[in-house]
Amino acid sequence: MDASTFLIAVAQIIMIDILLGGDNAVVIALACRRLPEAQRAKGIFWGVVGAIAVRIVLIFFAVQLLALPWLKLLGAVLLVWIGIKLLLPEDDDAHEGMAASDNLWGAVRTVIVADVVMSLDNVIAVAGAAHGNMALVVFGILVSVPIIVWGSRFVLKLMDRFPAVITLGGALLGWIAGGMAVSDSAVAGHFGELPGWLKYASGAAGAVLVVAVGKWLAHRHARKAEVIEISLDAPSGAPRGKQGGQA
Amino acid sequence: MITTLIAVDGSDHSLRAVDAVCRLAAAGLAMDVHVLNVQIPVESGHVRMFVEADAIEGYYRQEGLAALAEACARLDRAGIAHTRHLAVGHVADTIAHYATQLKAEQVVMGSHGRGALRHALMGSVATDVIRRVDAPVTLVR
Repeated sequence: MDASTFLIAVAQIIMIDILLGGDNAVVIALACRRLPEAQRAKGIFWGVVGAIAVRIVLIFFAVQLLALPWLKLLGAVLLVWIGIKLLLPEDDDAHEGMAASDNLWGAVRTVIVADVVMSLDNVIAVAGAAHGNMALVVFGILVSVPIIVWGSRFVLKLMDRFPAVITLGGALLGWIAGGMAVSDSAVAGHFGELPGWLKYASGAAGAVLVVAVGKWLAHRHARKAEVIEISLDAPSGAPRGKQGGQA
Repeated sequence: MITTLIAVDGSDHSLRAVDAVCRLAAAGLAMDVHVLNVQIPVESGHVRMFVEADAIEGYYRQEGLAALAEACARLDRAGIAHTRHLAVGHVADTIAHYATQLKAEQVVMGSHGRGALRHALMGSVATDVIRRVDAPVTLVR
């Protein structure tokens, strides 16, 4: 891998971490909110350690798996889907959130489960961008750490100011997916030696696919109200449970 | 009565915007003052999967109250009656939304006056608000 390829892959990994890693920090902070002050720092610390450990283990397995025939194609399909989801507004009726725990281990458990689920997309994307190069993978993990720990505010502000960043991110995921699909060993086995330009053509096709489908679906989705008023006088230490719609 | 919307984020710049409104009041301008803090939405599908809606709302409220606290304390000290608002959304859009809803006759807000690089990177919420609001917008550095 020459220097410019390496630098491009590094830039891609950083972009992926910014776009797909930011919400991890939010979950860690929110899950630890109910903890007593003294335990909050501990909860956040172990949450971050867990997030990093989970990423290392998952990326290690992902890189091994991607060497198997057909799995890069599968990974490419998954990445296209992740890219499209990045471009869609959130569904309103989506999920019942897990109850925020008020003891340390409950909070850490929530955070670890969240880490596993939330790093999956990140892991597939980073493994794809790293072309099996473990040095890049390790670098990607190191880069994602500060983003997980301190970056969420910055990421949220960036997305608030420049929504186009998200479209770019979707295109990037499509690009990686396209390159991944044609580098699958089963594809090469079927068609023999593939011309070098095909990787770029396939990447471009992936990027266009993600952006086109994502934009089209986002357009069809009814947009939810964009301004949500929050009542100021609900007691912040209120007992858990639904508090009803306060005006 | 001039309906005045002050957008605050808890920063020193936004407090100087509050001070500017206090000076207008001291000079005798009768105002209906509204103070607004906008929180950037944190919830993606993932966040909502792992954190209760109540906890997310509690987080917004805590952050919002913290951002509003000093601004409202200064208005109180100056004896200016005011209404507090807290909302979640795209910052500039939400300020514009409130300006329209409240029929604000002026909007006052802080401007960070960042260096050229940070300005290019993050842009300015103030610039976006000016573009979206019909009423005069006062920026305070």
